[in-house]
Amino acid sequence: MAQGDGDALAELYDRYARPVYSLALRILRDARDAEDVVQEVFAQAWRHAARYSPARGVVAAWLVTLARSRAIDRLRARKARPEGASDDRPGLQFIDSAPPIDHQLLSSEQVTRVRAALEELPVLQRVAVELAYFEGLTHVEIANRLEQPLGTIKTRIRLALGKLRESLAGAV
Amino acid sequence: MATTPIDHGGLHELVELYMLGALTSPERVQFESHLKTCDECQARLKALSPVVGALAQAVPQVEPPPSLRARVLSSVGANVKEMPERAPRRTSLFVPWLAAAASLVTAVALGGYSIAMRGRVTSLEDRLRDAARQLALSERQIADLRRTSAQGQFQMAVLAAPDLLRMDLAGQPAAPRSAGRAFWSRSRGLLFTASSLPALPSGRTYQLWVLAAQPAPISAGLFKPDQAGSVTTIFETPIDLPQPVGMAVTIEPDGGVPAPTGDKYLVGQ
Repeated sequence: MAQGDGDALAELYDRYARPVYSLALRILRDARDAEDVVQEVFAQAWRHAARYSPARGVVAAWLVTLARSRAIDRLRARKARPEGASDDRPGLQFIDSAPPIDHQLLSSEQVTRVRAALEELPVLQRVAVELAYFEGLTHVEIANRLEQPLGTIKTRIRLALGKLRESLAGAV
Repeated sequence: MATTPIDHGGLHELVELYMLGALTSPERVQFESHLKTCDECQARLKALSPVVGALAQAVPQVEPPPSLRARVLSSVGANVKEMPERAPRRTSLFVPWLAAAASLVTAVALGGYSIAMRGRVTSLEDRLRDAARQLALSERQIADLRRTSAQGQFQMAVLAAPDLLRMDLAGQPAAPRSAGRAFWSRSRGLLFTASSLPALPSGRTYQLWVLAAQPAPISAGLFKPDQAGSVTTIFETPIDLPQPVGMAVTIEPDGGVPAPTGDKYLVGQ
């Protein structure tokens, strides 16, 4: 998408506003905040259009990753956390240092498999993953929250992602 | 925060946490500098990338409000020749709406102690699958499922609250095998879970009481356990509820009572 090409942005929006909005809504549980995130994400896509690969699936995955990061930023700001643990972890840094996005969005069959795999995870594994990804907590915070040793949370998250990965590997 | 050095082997184990954004700041800095020179970690990172994408896509899909489109496009000054009237194109990536309704249930974030809830969700999900097969799902069922899903997410929200307070409740002589646990957050409410509660006589209900630094117990709400005696439920407690110093569960007449009258079944401090 070249800058100035409004039609391209409109097309991008029509294709991907829903997954972006859905993720922001899941994290923030507030429709207005989720709408703000959608606006920020597409505005950033517009500004940085030239920097990203035109491959559609890659762009989509990037949009979703950015949405997660922006939503978590808002969540943290909203919490006004007394421990200030996340103050040194602003979202832009997170995005700039985030791993390269080199995957495509998944097929509906893959999504179904992942949901099933999530459902089958032992409760502690699932909660640990969800607190990290959807609530933006660090593994240290998760360990405190669930009253588990640090190493346990680390192990649970590794096991959980391993199982989710297997569930994806089985689906083509 | 002081940086604790992590040995090389330990750094390898941080890939998953890094992918989820769950490292502390010093850990992240250390891991990123390690990553630059470690092919193995780079490879694992690449392999895990779709998994994290999958988490994002596994959430219940919700259509954004139609007004948002114009707002987004005008906010960037996009010069769009024509605003298509057609509905947003549905990409092949996403399941049809009926399956999406089912996903509302499967994608529910369950609280760490809400095994009972999990069972209910599973059975609701099975019911939904059957109904979907017959293409005869009523609006009413969907509404119920949405509520269940919302409750699951709310449970997670309580558990994630920064001001979380936890209280364990022990079975009393009337119910020695019972146990309960409550999570309370001023901002998010009270998540209560209990197991092995005796079956209720007809016309009776369990009532949860919050004991604060004032003479009278405050009713948090009523609940009825399932056949196995388990319950997981959320009570929306008033924001001005004093900090609980104790909790108790009694059996009371249906509809509840303003002050406890029955035997205590669970007590926590």
